[in-house]
Amino acid sequence: MTTSTLQIDHVTKRYGAGDTEVTAVRDVSLSVKPGEIVLIMGPSGSGKTTLLSMLGALLKPTDGEIHLNGAVISALAENRLPDIRLKQFGFVFQDFNLLSALTALENVSIVAELAGNKAAAARQKAASILTELGLGERLNFLPEKLSGGEKQRVAIARALINDPALILADEPTANLDSKIGHEIMRLLRRIAKEQGRSVVIVSHDQRIKDIADRVLWLEDGEFKETVTMAIDPVCGMSVEREKAISVEWDGKVYSFCAQGCRDEFVNDPQKFIVAVS
Amino acid sequence: MIRLAFRNLFQNRTRLAISVGGVSLALLLILALDAIFTGVERQTTAFIDNSGADIFVAQKDVRNMHMASSSLPVTAIDEVKAIEGVEEVTAILYTGNMIVVGEERTLAYIIGLPEDAEMGVPWKIASGKEIPEAGEAIIDERVAQKSGIEIGDTVEILAREFKVVGFSEETTNIVNSIAFISASDFQAQRGNSGVVSYLLVRVKPGVGIEAVVSRIEQEVDGVTALPRASFSGQEARVVKDMSTDVLAIMNSIGVLIGLAVMALTVYTAVLSRRREFGVLKALGARNGHLYQAVLAQALMSVLLGFTIGLAFTLLISAVIPRLGLSMTLEISRASLIKVGIVSLVITAFSAILPIRQIAGLDPAIVFRGK
Repeated sequence: MTTSTLQIDHVTKRYGAGDTEVTAVRDVSLSVKPGEIVLIMGPSGSGKTTLLSMLGALLKPTDGEIHLNGAVISALAENRLPDIRLKQFGFVFQDFNLLSALTALENVSIVAELAGNKAAAARQKAASILTELGLGERLNFLPEKLSGGEKQRVAIARALINDPALILADEPTANLDSKIGHEIMRLLRRIAKEQGRSVVIVSHDQRIKDIADRVLWLEDGEFKETVTMAIDPVCGMSVEREKAISVEWDGKVYSFCAQGCRDEFVNDPQKFIVAVS
Repeated sequence: MIRLAFRNLFQNRTRLAISVGGVSLALLLILALDAIFTGVERQTTAFIDNSGADIFVAQKDVRNMHMASSSLPVTAIDEVKAIEGVEEVTAILYTGNMIVVGEERTLAYIIGLPEDAEMGVPWKIASGKEIPEAGEAIIDERVAQKSGIEIGDTVEILAREFKVVGFSEETTNIVNSIAFISASDFQAQRGNSGVVSYLLVRVKPGVGIEAVVSRIEQEVDGVTALPRASFSGQEARVVKDMSTDVLAIMNSIGVLIGLAVMALTVYTAVLSRRREFGVLKALGARNGHLYQAVLAQALMSVLLGFTIGLAFTLLISAVIPRLGLSMTLEISRASLIKVGIVSLVITAFSAILPIRQIAGLDPAIVFRGK
């Protein structure tokens, strides 16, 4: 019995054979809990895209297993994967990848219709999600009339429309300025925490670390380093738990960005513990 | 997916104009040619269809008028009249000749009518007399207009002059015209007083036409009798046989043009949206969903092209008679069905390549920034 949304066990992906064989992902294991945000970082060519494609049931691993909500999806027949992608995954892309001929509303509702919803119900649900994401006034706008941030919010709405267990985001802030990028990441965090959806993000953007629960470093197809992120209870900054100054209080470890924050906490822990919880 | 197809189609107006324009042009070619030949068929059989006869009797084994010659002895008139069920018989004389006005020569079928003719007479008169007497002729109004002829003027037919006493309508086609003169003049000019060309037979009310046809063929030697519809059908078939090859070639050209334009535009349309189709695949759309979108897009283009092609054909068929041309365009149901089938074939074939493209599309394209 697993409590993870996503569980990958010893996954390897090899391309080619013999002398031309390339191992893009090598014996990778990962578990993502409901509501958890995992950020996968790494240099170009490290295998991030291949790993993301396998997580999204777009590519089958050569070895290993991928479980989604306890079911082994890596062993499913090719013709069953579209349904899994449609109903279990939400995708957010670097280039937004909205359909240029459809309005914001239609871009979202078409995915619900593909999942078998009636057109009217799909449109109603799409309108509701878009409105919730602050796009109530932009429902009938074509993508070309939307800003980058708005496009990404439409893409997030599209990712949410079929109530997926897992959201996979590929460089979601790459085409956004820092302010909008930060807003989008806060939105993804809110979705993860409020709706209990797991989020896996692949990105080069260091700022995303702030909203991640865990940061994994992928290099040469392997996870080299795992960083667990924590929030400084005093200033609210995201810090790497392993490198941060920490204090144990009442059986729990708290991490701080600097000595000053630590000292402030130690003087009156109760004041900050409420803020963290 | 239908909405996506619709939006994709109308988003790129230039591509839409090219594909719909190309298809409509191709279908217009097919429809217009069909309409011309249907019109020609109708014009060619107009005399038979409007003759008022139930049965046409001709020399044995002669089954039509166009490019045919029929010769019956005058005694056949009374023999047919005596057949049970026959109410009336009109004997006409018929040959192909010219209407000559100065230097202007118009090909014409010359019909020699008895003075008391009840059948085979001009069925629509624009002005003047309905049946010519000795020395008189009734010619088609358009021929008269073309040659500058007025009522009372003279024309040359069968190498003698006739006074024009009436103008008929609907008696000119793309190839020739019909002129009516008296049977006595016809016989005098051709010197064959003992024969007639065809017998036009009306049966008594309530009597079966087929039964009378059988009795005529059984009881009168050396004749072939056909109900009017069959005789008209034989006449139309002669025209059709002559035009089949032309039609087949032009139709093939039309199909190829339509196919080429559609295949190219649908292919480029899908190619330009390759990434979007990849996104849909990644999101969970099945190939079947995407095929639907491509087919719907192709079908919408073809339907638009068909509608525009049909509208232009109707426009042309309305305009041509007003230009004084000896041609009518008629859009037949068979032609519409044929063009409809051609449209579906174009749709299906133009979608094959794009569908193959989509089938082979890797949805992981969305993560590769291609």
